[in-house]
Amino acid sequence: MSQPIVLGIETSCDETAIGIVRGRTLLANVIASSVEEHARFGGVVPEIASRAHLEAMLPSIERALSDSKLSLTDIDAVAVTAGPGLVGALLVGVASASGLAIGLGKPLYGVNHLAAHISVDYLTHDQPTDPTIALLVSGGHSSLLQVDDITSKITKLGATMDDAAGEAFDKIARVMGLGFPGGPAIDRTAQSGSASAIDFPRGLTTSNDWATRPYDFSFSGLKTAVARYLESTPDYKKGDVAASFQESIVDVLLQKSLAACKATGIDSLVIAGGVAANSRLRAVAEERCAKAGIRLRIPSPGLCTDNGAMVAALGSLMVAAGREPGPQAFDAQSSLPVERVSLQFAARNNALYARR
Amino acid sequence: MTISLAIDTSTSRSIVAIVDADKVLFESFHEGATDHGKALPELIAQALKVAPKPERVVVGMGPGPFTGLRVGITFARTFAYARGIDLKGVCSLDAIAIDQSEYTVAVDARRKEIYWASYKDGVRVAGPSVNKPAEVAGYIFDAYPDMQKLVALSHAQNETEPMYLRRPDAVPTVERT
Repeated sequence: MSQPIVLGIETSCDETAIGIVRGRTLLANVIASSVEEHARFGGVVPEIASRAHLEAMLPSIERALSDSKLSLTDIDAVAVTAGPGLVGALLVGVASASGLAIGLGKPLYGVNHLAAHISVDYLTHDQPTDPTIALLVSGGHSSLLQVDDITSKITKLGATMDDAAGEAFDKIARVMGLGFPGGPAIDRTAQSGSASAIDFPRGLTTSNDWATRPYDFSFSGLKTAVARYLESTPDYKKGDVAASFQESIVDVLLQKSLAACKATGIDSLVIAGGVAANSRLRAVAEERCAKAGIRLRIPSPGLCTDNGAMVAALGSLMVAAGREPGPQAFDAQSSLPVERVSLQFAARNNALYARR
Repeated sequence: MTISLAIDTSTSRSIVAIVDADKVLFESFHEGATDHGKALPELIAQALKVAPKPERVVVGMGPGPFTGLRVGITFARTFAYARGIDLKGVCSLDAIAIDQSEYTVAVDARRKEIYWASYKDGVRVAGPSVNKPAEVAGYIFDAYPDMQKLVALSHAQNETEPMYLRRPDAVPTVERT
């Protein structure tokens, strides 16, 4: 089984996503999103997301198979996001994957959503990604990670202490009346403004912060500063606020990512997660990494946001690395730590996460 | 006869059975209101040892607490799809077996409410609905779906959508105060 065909299921938030890969070749990437149903609530409503997952699951699996011109019996393994994420949403994916794997008599891999975000890079770049520093930024997560082996060894260097970066985008977009989700709205609005118009604060970048928590993030101070600016400046320019706010986040994310590369001596950076689709982050990252001699890899925008291809990709890497599948039955784990790349591996390597 | 794999996760129990016509070849359950995700595959594995190739799947469609309910339904759907076999959905309250000609059954709906339905001579005459306990007269509470009855009902009934009976709790941004 040199080129295993893996079907991946992702339901950690509001996207019901099915991906199919053969080895490192993407065959299908089906995404049914319930984002429009959440828009009028200003954020993701877990129960609405879970109901949508149940409804979309089988049609999405069927479509992924027809897109890839495969039949069910061609599938060699099933992979599913076991966590972290919304527990009710995750459970729909886990139970579906379990029914599919047991029904087919094929192995099931329960994998980590964050590791999957990073591993999707394998589908678009030839060389192995690891070792690398990875910046994972989305609506639910903001972490800086050291990836020694994508299938078994990921170490968290730092993470956000309050909001996730994507969450900050959502909240600022909401107060500016730009709609939900906020990331694309801010990105668009910022095109017409100046990134240097307003000097918003850079969270956790004082010399004391660099000494004590160099790889952690905080976006709450920035959020407050923007809200205060909007209150005190009734005739503010939306473009300038969006561009300057975005610049502050992009600047901090990249300062810390590059510092991590330098400190660890790893000259590779992967940026993944929904916020990696941000055009300013991509542009500034290219510029700074080129200058610092760091190999930068960002998946295409379509593979940055939650998708099933990334879960299938990590499952495929697990198979290729000879990792054990299973356990046969497992629960969704809403706060699965990133060090637990897969459930089986963690179960066999207690020492790895006992360190935390 | 036809061998059915029966699944119900509409209550605090995950229940799995193998039913061959009127014979129950296997039946087991796990008690735990938040355990359905992990318990169901384990029970299924046991059931498949008794009958490796069930010819159809029957699943309880609720009403019941949403998160657990979905586990059984989506598992049943993907399993039946993977095996290429028929799937039938049955109202879980209908499958609660009570030896009386007229009765009302109820299960916990959380938030101090119950899901209930009333029956007369084997026919559902009221419900399924969700109400406060005080609004429903003389109901039988401590009972669970009977897998043999669930399978028997699946020959005449096929519910395709989960019976939530409640809307998701959420207030649109514009209506917030």
